[in-house]
Amino acid sequence: MSDTYPMAPVWFVDVCGSAAMVVLSFAAVWYARRLVKAQPANAMWTYVLWFSAALAGFAVSRSVGHIAKRCLLLLNMPDVWVALRPYSGAVNTLAFVVVAAITLFFQRVDKINWGIRQDKHALEDAGREVMRLNRNLESLVIQRTEELSRSEKKYRRVFEGSMDMIFILDGDARFLDINQAGLTSLGYAAKEDLVGVLDFQSFFVHETDCTRLMNDLRMNGFVRDRECRLRSKDGSELFVLLSSTARNDGQSGITGYEGIAKDVTARLLMEKQLQRADKLASLGQISTGIAHEINNPLGVMLGYTQLLLRENPAGTQNHDDLKIIEKHARNCKTVVDDLLKFARGTRTNKTPIDVNQCVQEVLSLVSHQFELDKITLATGLDPHLPTLVADGEKIKQVFMNLLMNARQAIKKSGTISVATTTDPDKKSVRISIRDTGCGIPDELVDKIFDPFFTTKPVGEGTGLGLSVSYGIIQDHNGRIEAHSEVGRGSTFSVVLPVTTGAPARSASLSEPGGHST
Amino acid sequence: MLASVLGMSGTADFAWAFQSHPAPEGLYAHQLAHVFFAASMGILTYWLHRNRLSNQSGWRLIQVSCVLFIAWNVVTFSGHWVEELISDNMLQGYPNWNQRIALGSSPAAVFYYVLKLDHLLCVPAILCLVLGLRSLYKQVLAKAETPHE
Repeated sequence: MSDTYPMAPVWFVDVCGSAAMVVLSFAAVWYARRLVKAQPANAMWTYVLWFSAALAGFAVSRSVGHIAKRCLLLLNMPDVWVALRPYSGAVNTLAFVVVAAITLFFQRVDKINWGIRQDKHALEDAGREVMRLNRNLESLVIQRTEELSRSEKKYRRVFEGSMDMIFILDGDARFLDINQAGLTSLGYAAKEDLVGVLDFQSFFVHETDCTRLMNDLRMNGFVRDRECRLRSKDGSELFVLLSSTARNDGQSGITGYEGIAKDVTARLLMEKQLQRADKLASLGQISTGIAHEINNPLGVMLGYTQLLLRENPAGTQNHDDLKIIEKHARNCKTVVDDLLKFARGTRTNKTPIDVNQCVQEVLSLVSHQFELDKITLATGLDPHLPTLVADGEKIKQVFMNLLMNARQAIKKSGTISVATTTDPDKKSVRISIRDTGCGIPDELVDKIFDPFFTTKPVGEGTGLGLSVSYGIIQDHNGRIEAHSEVGRGSTFSVVLPVTTGAPARSASLSEPGGHST
Repeated sequence: MLASVLGMSGTADFAWAFQSHPAPEGLYAHQLAHVFFAASMGILTYWLHRNRLSNQSGWRLIQVSCVLFIAWNVVTFSGHWVEELISDNMLQGYPNWNQRIALGSSPAAVFYYVLKLDHLLCVPAILCLVLGLRSLYKQVLAKAETPHE
């Protein structure tokens, strides 16, 4: 017996340990259940519960087997134990496998759970972002609206404040919007008369200009500084430099146009006047030279002709021939004198004059003849005209030239209106002579002041009337303006400056346009 | 039907369509279950470590529990193996409180005696599991009681 040891400690540990296992395993299940209850959505606690339950099953099967074995052996019932033993072992083995399987299965579940948690976090973040956006949406809308309003006002100020015409057209070139400068230029008072009612093409004087413009816009998408002539509502013409772009959305083609038109009418007129003045100055210079060269030989010819006339009594063939020579020499001298007047090569005697009186004196000379020719004379003289310092005779000559031209423009019957006005500052006086004659074609308007230019048949006019008038008015530092419409008549306006100070005798030999020789 | 299946399991000579499973297979299945159990505990230990859950005291106790269960599986696996090696005459007397074992007869008897005390591992293992769950439960309660900001 001395080499043997008691198995009692083993039995004791076995029984007590088995009992402890059962108790502790159920304690584990209890805690695991509490965890699941506390956080039902946490898959980890679900695993812990399953794990604990499987361990409890393992502990119970094993402990029951061990305790039962000890009890049956103590009760001297080994046969019963032998019969139960396989079932106890099988259940015990099964419990191991279940615990292990749950553990391994959980690894996969945890991976899936991790993914779900990530998605949950992402959804929560998205939800928070949506909430934040919702909260800020109203303020963002207000802020954006204010920004938009500011931007709109800024561009509206540029649009409405521009001195040039700015317009927006739809795809059919109908007005969608136009600024105030555009309305004024086209002669409209309100946008409603234009927007959605008229199209831009209807304002072009020349249809070819419009066609070419639209073609270029379609081809290139833009045009820059294109010279066009537009006709405003009252019929007056505008010269504009037009820049425009076409809106193209890429699918349905051109959806509209935007453009700026700069009114250069005044500038072009000024350029024309300058060109005309320059041309007339050159002509005046040439005329002066020619007139001086011809004047002296003509004087000699007339002198000798008159000497010969004294020696040849009237009624002789020589006398008659010399008379013809004298007549034509005098005609030449008249032309030369007119040329000198045009070229301001003659003396002027400027004194204070009453323009209305000058006009009436001239009208009294022609009124009888006009009455016979069925020409009605209408006058509108401003009684408060200031006194001018001018050469009255030459001014009357100008009026006479203009009235005679007006008479000739009216073929049968018509009206000639003469009016005098002064500007609000009393710095100039305007004398307008308007007829209801045939008018002057556009292409000839620039030539009417040229010396020897006339539309009359040969022998009926020298073409020096307007040239002489132009020279006289230039000599008075004034200007002549001509406006004409074919078929409706012409208006010639003489504008003379109101000068103060002592009258002076002028001996100017300068050419028209102010160039001195 | 169950009786016929159980009955036929002891008569291999009459089995044509299935293979018979004589006595050692039960032990082998049980031993393999120990290996499977130990392996799963090893995987759980690694998983807790990798996910850094073992930084928390509750999970750390559960991790310790897993290690103890692995040790227990090793002990019991060895115990079953050693039990097969010792002879019946090493145990003397009726298997009750008075039974004795001749430890000097074979080294295997000593191993057998020590390995039979396997509850000294599995009880601490399950105790650690309970303590770990208790710690986690307290942690959850504490978190639930913390007012949300």
